Amino acid sequence: MRISRRTLMKNAAALGAFAGAGFPHIWVKNADLARAAGGEIKVGVLFSLTGTTAIIEESLNKATILAIEEINAAGGIKGSKIVPIIEDPASDPATFSEKARKLVVGDKCVSVFGSYTSASRKAVLPVFERQNNLYWYPTLYEGRECSKNVVYTGAVPNQQQDEFVPWLIKKFGKKFYLIGSNYIYPKEENNYCKKLLEKYGGEVVAEEYVPLGHSEFSSVINKMRSTQPNVIFSTVVGDSVVALHRQYRAAGLDPEKMPMASLTTSENEVAAMGGEAAAGHFTSAPYFQVYKSPENEKFVAAYQKRWGADKVTHFVSEACYFQTYLFKQAVEKLATSDIAPPTIRDAVKGAETIAPQGKVRIEPENLHTWLWPKIAQCKSSGQFEILVEAKEWLKPVPYAAYPGQVCTEKGLVEKS
Amino acid sequence: MTSKTSFPTGLPRLGAQIAPILIVCAIVFALPLVLNNDFLLNKVARYLVLGILTVSLALSWGFGGILNLGQAMSFGIGSYAMAMALKLKTIPVHTGSGGLPDFMVWNNVARLPWFWQPFKSLSFALAAGIIVPALVAAALGWFIFRSRVTGVYVSIITLATMVVLNLVIIDQQSFTGGFNGITDLAQLEIFGFAFDAYGRATFYLVASCVALSLLVAFAFTRTKAGLVVQAIRDHEGRVRYFGYDVAAYQIFVFALSAAIAGLAGMLYTIVMEFASPTFLGVQLSLSVVVWCAVGGRQSLVGAFLGAVLVAGMQGALSESAAFLETWTLVMGALFVLVVLFLPKGLAGLTKSAWRWIVRRRLASQGIARGVGQTREGSA
Repeated sequence: MRISRRTLMKNAAALGAFAGAGFPHIWVKNADLARAAGGEIKVGVLFSLTGTTAIIEESLNKATILAIEEINAAGGIKGSKIVPIIEDPASDPATFSEKARKLVVGDKCVSVFGSYTSASRKAVLPVFERQNNLYWYPTLYEGRECSKNVVYTGAVPNQQQDEFVPWLIKKFGKKFYLIGSNYIYPKEENNYCKKLLEKYGGEVVAEEYVPLGHSEFSSVINKMRSTQPNVIFSTVVGDSVVALHRQYRAAGLDPEKMPMASLTTSENEVAAMGGEAAAGHFTSAPYFQVYKSPENEKFVAAYQKRWGADKVTHFVSEACYFQTYLFKQAVEKLATSDIAPPTIRDAVKGAETIAPQGKVRIEPENLHTWLWPKIAQCKSSGQFEILVEAKEWLKPVPYAAYPGQVCTEKGLVEKS
Repeated sequence: MTSKTSFPTGLPRLGAQIAPILIVCAIVFALPLVLNNDFLLNKVARYLVLGILTVSLALSWGFGGILNLGQAMSFGIGSYAMAMALKLKTIPVHTGSGGLPDFMVWNNVARLPWFWQPFKSLSFALAAGIIVPALVAAALGWFIFRSRVTGVYVSIITLATMVVLNLVIIDQQSFTGGFNGITDLAQLEIFGFAFDAYGRATFYLVASCVALSLLVAFAFTRTKAGLVVQAIRDHEGRVRYFGYDVAAYQIFVFALSAAIAGLAGMLYTIVMEFASPTFLGVQLSLSVVVWCAVGGRQSLVGAFLGAVLVAGMQGALSESAAFLETWTLVMGALFVLVVLFLPKGLAGLTKSAWRWIVRRRLASQGIARGVGQTREGSA
């Protein structure tokens, strides 16, 4: 191939643009930065801004940033500002792991707030355990985890179901149709649900799992018609929630006779499917946007002021918000020279704060959170109406379905 | 090319071809001198592993003319083989008695399934991580190339096969860990020597595998079989008329490429400390094709550097505050630039730049001499 000087220059320019656009960053060394130097406390914020779960995770990123901005505006933590280092893990477990390493080992963050899916939490877990750092996980999840390096501020199965399942049996009947996405979260929730059904005299007419991202529910809906359950107990996640609700409505099924009872449908999913499709169905969660409390009104107003009046808050973004305040509270207890992940972990044990959902507390034994279960029905406006509120907060029992196992401060203990 | 000085088969001289490989390997081995930080070592090790994967694709695509869009399938098989062995080495803290992997307990599996049993032996796993992908590729290749499937159909079949395997892994979560993959792994230990994901030992292990795969791939391209494979790429029909068994050569290069990808997959599990179905996902598999194209698919070193540079840049861009919102756009724009202006990738650019410099120098020497002569003349 003959090459003129001009083509070469053109090529070289392309190469220059290519190489100059940031690659040298990987050589930057910041190994010796102190953890809380110069009145700055560095934390990581690890929610996907691109990729398949970006829509929901972006709202988690926003709630976390809002809380950090509020804390800093009010003078920070004993004069030190919280500096959020935001990374985009692109909805990919391998990238989650890479970014977690960067935040923990490279940037020396004292804590990282992050993850929506269990898969991404599992991917970063080795990083936090090996480096003895602290991960704050805001999502409801399946339980059965007992890590000393994670603070879990979302609900575990007992906190979503203990009240919900008996209430559904009493109100609608005992025949349950279990439908979920095919991964560990729905399976574990259903394991627990079946235990409760056994206890309260309910029965399972069908248990079915659809692939993640599944959007064709006609055969499922036919099966619902033929089995005639009283309750459709749904742990379908993501875009599938939207498809399931729309197709249920299109098939002419009636929420008054055969309602869907979901653990995963929040204001966020309802906004995606439209209130009409969601109206009449039920969700159990510790938080709903319509919940009346001074703290929640303040949270919703601040969130909409900061990010747009059309934005909704939901039970995962609320946990993002209050866990940042719990972090602040824990760090406040420490001398500046002591600020490090293990001391923060010890300081957060038993910490309490008034969250938008009510007063919450970190259980010292297992670092999960005492929450306020609520049952609500969706309205065509896209908002929920809260029907049942727990009279007291509920202890987190991550191994509720497994009576032989208990998560303690020393790790998982087997009782034989 | 009948002059006695040229290589008998008409190949470029060995030295000129092997030099870039040796230089790149030397640089890779010297990197820990510069990267005195565990985190950077680990990160660069990850990019090097992706580099090996891309070399494996360059072998089948650039030299064999087989565009395997499912290259990540072999990578994923290797990765799972390693993860299965390391999972069985963990102390069952999350499981209690029986030593079953935690996700199996969650899915109410009572006994270790038969295909997990042999992975109790680490040597079996190490061999399986390379041999299984090669066998799978050979079997798939047998169907493809014996039936004389060519071109875009090969790509479609390989891509589809990978997607099927990916779905099976996600669906059979009681045996595979499903969507979450296989997590909570033990460290790899060979003869009592532990390979920590952040340690130098792991980095040098990866670096040695970089050297090994580049040299093996290079050696193959110089053998007679390697030459036949390249001839098939250029004109399949003509080679067949010469009496060569075209399919056999294609199957061989396809399987060799899969074996190298399997090796990369095993290393990836060590470096990342988990295995995930995304390791044999469409996104990764297509990224490999892009890296290969950017680096130059007909150059092993080019493909390797393409992966390391692009993956490294992707990481750096998405980490810089300025590009946090737009890094995917910037990456896209850069790819368009490369495809438009560098059809042979970075390797092609380097080659033409080298020729241009050589010609310039020759020319300027000529001119200088000419000028000198005129000066002398005028003096």
